[in-house]
Amino acid sequence: MTTVLRRPRGQRAVGEEPDVGSVPGSGPIVSIEDLRVSFVRGDREVNAVRGVSLGIERGEILGLVGESGSGKSVLGLSLLGLLPTSPSPRVSGRACVAGTDMVAADAETRRLVRRRHMGAVFQDPMTSLNPTMRVGRQVAEAAAAAGQDVASLLDSVGIPDARRRMEAYPHELSGGLRQRVMIAMAIAGNPSLVMADEPTTALDVTVQAQILELIRRLCDELGTSFILVTHDLGVAAQVSDRIAVLYGGRLAEVGPATSIFEKGRHPYTAGLLRSRLVLDTDRTRPVLTLPGEPPDPRSHPPGCPFSPRCDHHRDDCDLALPELSGGGGDATAVACLHPVGVDDVTADETAMVAEWPAVPASTGGRDPAVIVHDVHKDFPLRSGPRRTRLQALRGVSLEIERGESVALVGESGCGKSTLLRAVAGLHGVDRGEIEFSRGMSAQMVFQDAGASLTPWLSIGELIGERLRGEGLSRAGRAAKVSDALALVGLPAEVAAARPAQLSGGQRQRVALARATVVPPGVLLCDEPTSALDVSLAATVLNLIGRLRRQLGMAVLFVTHDLAAARIVADRIAVMYLGRIVETGPSDRVCGDPAHPYTRALLAAVPEMGRTGTRIGGEPANPIDPPTGCSFHTRCPDQVPECASRPQVLVTLGVGPGSRTRSEGSEGLDPGIRQVACSRLAPPSEPSPTEPSPTGAAASDGGEI
Amino acid sequence: MIKLVVKRVVSMVAILLVLSATIFLLQKLSRTDPVHAYLGANASKAAIARESHILGYDRPLVDQYFHYVKGVLTGNLGNSLRTRRGVATDLGAYLPATVELTLFGLFLAVVLGGLLGLASAGRWRGAAAFRLIMVSGASAPAFLLALLGILLFFNRLHWLPATNDTAYNNAPTGPTGILVVDTLVHGQLAMWIDAWKHLILPGLCVALGPAVSIGRVLRTSLVTTMRSDYVRTARSKGLTERAVLLRHTLRNSLNSALSMTGLQAGLMFAGVVVIETVFAWPGIGLYTDQSIPAADFPAIGGVTLVLGVGYVVINTLVDVLQAVADPRLSLA
Repeated sequence: MTTVLRRPRGQRAVGEEPDVGSVPGSGPIVSIEDLRVSFVRGDREVNAVRGVSLGIERGEILGLVGESGSGKSVLGLSLLGLLPTSPSPRVSGRACVAGTDMVAADAETRRLVRRRHMGAVFQDPMTSLNPTMRVGRQVAEAAAAAGQDVASLLDSVGIPDARRRMEAYPHELSGGLRQRVMIAMAIAGNPSLVMADEPTTALDVTVQAQILELIRRLCDELGTSFILVTHDLGVAAQVSDRIAVLYGGRLAEVGPATSIFEKGRHPYTAGLLRSRLVLDTDRTRPVLTLPGEPPDPRSHPPGCPFSPRCDHHRDDCDLALPELSGGGGDATAVACLHPVGVDDVTADETAMVAEWPAVPASTGGRDPAVIVHDVHKDFPLRSGPRRTRLQALRGVSLEIERGESVALVGESGCGKSTLLRAVAGLHGVDRGEIEFSRGMSAQMVFQDAGASLTPWLSIGELIGERLRGEGLSRAGRAAKVSDALALVGLPAEVAAARPAQLSGGQRQRVALARATVVPPGVLLCDEPTSALDVSLAATVLNLIGRLRRQLGMAVLFVTHDLAAARIVADRIAVMYLGRIVETGPSDRVCGDPAHPYTRALLAAVPEMGRTGTRIGGEPANPIDPPTGCSFHTRCPDQVPECASRPQVLVTLGVGPGSRTRSEGSEGLDPGIRQVACSRLAPPSEPSPTEPSPTGAAASDGGEI
Repeated sequence: MIKLVVKRVVSMVAILLVLSATIFLLQKLSRTDPVHAYLGANASKAAIARESHILGYDRPLVDQYFHYVKGVLTGNLGNSLRTRRGVATDLGAYLPATVELTLFGLFLAVVLGGLLGLASAGRWRGAAAFRLIMVSGASAPAFLLALLGILLFFNRLHWLPATNDTAYNNAPTGPTGILVVDTLVHGQLAMWIDAWKHLILPGLCVALGPAVSIGRVLRTSLVTTMRSDYVRTARSKGLTERAVLLRHTLRNSLNSALSMTGLQAGLMFAGVVVIETVFAWPGIGLYTDQSIPAADFPAIGGVTLVLGVGYVVINTLVDVLQAVADPRLSLA
């Protein structure tokens, strides 16, 4: 600990730095005027920001929303004066922070503005903290000038046992705590402005909700302004005062958060809102999507950048760039010649509603594609006498019917991906069985489609690989490949391309084509949409929904997002610390959650002004899971016996709102619901020590 | 930490067993008759057979090997066929000079490598020049550097001596055998300066190649680290570039440079043999150089074992340093 830390607040180190920036408390903290940033890569110019003017008031949270390539991160880095140096950027316009223009100022002045007036929180707290420096020292570095006490800083961002945690290295902290350390670092210098670039994207939904709350609280208590850069309009709406929607390096719409969220007038804003997955999205038909893909920043159209995807598009849209107009009061300023609700031409939503293809009639009765029976999986962390094992799966049983779609939902570390990989056969299990029915095979689609495609093979070779040994001629194979591409909505020419030439959405389509060129019995999806932009995610979900119906595949879909799970799956299984704690039909699990953990997950789905039972903390340590119900350490409804009673799945009645246990689960009723909560379990039952498979332990049918 | 050392000692024993076995096998394959060499070219067949029996060379190879290993365990490395002294005694006389040269070379390599890495990773005009030095340095073999060094600094400029480790006949030989230490212990300042003068040129020749390798690895690592998220975080705090480089970048870039140092230390032992011969440095390189033509296998075996121990020790040290630099690596 340096002595600097003990200096009283507000007193600056001798010889620290010359005065930089304006008098505090007057005028907007940020004023951006006609900011343009472009990078030259090779012989092409990438236009990241194309003329943005924007102000941020003191004590305000501004949500900066946009898809990848919209220029939102470049805008944030311009304000910090930290644009990447290669490829070298061309910047014009003004981006004033606390009175200093971060575009025109030299490197040393920009550094002093950052030191005195700014803080930053970045997306991935694992990679954004120095792995070889204790977190206390990292915070102290930022706090030095303001003389704040590190322990009280860590305390103020909700890190329990702050004095001890100061001595920790980043890898010794959980993801949520790491992001809190980042936030402590960002506010350590008493900044006027914190730039938070996707601060919750790498976090679980429950932790995301906690971090957003923290940002709102810090803004209210300290009067610090925040720029919240995010791709998720829901996240921005939850805490922001104002929202600026960026599209193609231009502001599409700016206004108060409520106005944007409730009556966004730019067709892009409206489209984003439409394609957002929420818990009451109609799941009987494909989700409404924004057609097309985000713009290519190398070749913007001369007119409105959104025009190629716009359903309000008219000829005059393509003539010139539309300027922001309107605004003031509750109204939003919008850069559109024909905004929604003024002179609607095709704003008829029903025209865009599609239907699912017809499903071949089920043979009826019980016909499972895969049976997972009481599967256990440990990962040894350290060998030798003091060996520890991470218990990833602690007795999971699951049946997937032919053609059925099941979603596994839970926070990171709950074992959902381990289970998926075990079903895929990517690793073995320690105990239990995974049985495929005859003729059933599995294929997997991964989260990062870019990384899961070998870069030096062409798309045709990647897909064609799976056709080896089928005895096909070269032409027959090529025909099969283009069929598979057509099925995922890609032209046959894509077969000649390499993965790097495709966009993120196209790569995920290729991954799907590879998995379905020989239709598997079960399609295994590991968060295939979480790396995609909102509008693309909806498209991919629709594609999976259509493919499984057309090809009659069962789907096992892993996600941390209950809203996406509800859309894609007939049945949801909620996992916590290696066990299924609740399972049932998607609508019932989301509409009437029985387990407190499911309720907490639902409450954490970002939504404007949502309140509910937020849970604190993060999942317990899977090396040494809590006894009894493993959730009891975080459960808002826990009673003393939760810590001792075994965690057993019991079957609930199917009536809405009823908590009646029904007769055993023979003959797999698709409407069946099972919950592993000791408060819902029968009080005196001969208790097996392990959770029983498929809820067979539930035998008597009394009311609770 | 203790666990690591124990593990390393075990692996060292295994390495030494394999090394000595290899030496024995090579001896058998080489078809040179050490006893013949020992007795001289004119020795009679009978004399050779008698001497072979005395020395144990007529026994089966496995027997000979076990006999040798037993000796090693009790500190007996056998007798040199050339010097007629115990190999252990010979090593005691020649090893300190080599240790002196190797440690100095390693130190120079690390310092120069670090400077080269830092200088060439920076965003300044000179960086390209340093990169050029590194490329040309890497392509020059050590013996060539040695010859050029002698030509320039001895023949032309008369700045530095070209042979041996001292110009004095009465230089102290104890207590450590390392001349730059011993002369200081005995208070012989003139001899101390002379010892350094003798050390500089061979030390540089030994160090230059490894320094370039270490520098290149460090540079690559620094450049990658400079682009990392946490360095961006450090900049966002408004730290000076100097603080960003020294506090956040350097330590995170050390790992691969340390690995390379361990690797180069091993190669350096091989380089030392050549350099010692060129500079007539009285170390085990010279000793080995003289032992090989005489087919003096006990001597060669002894040298090999000592180098093996040195290699394992240095690499254990590298492992410990890596774990110190990066707390994510546990020492288990």
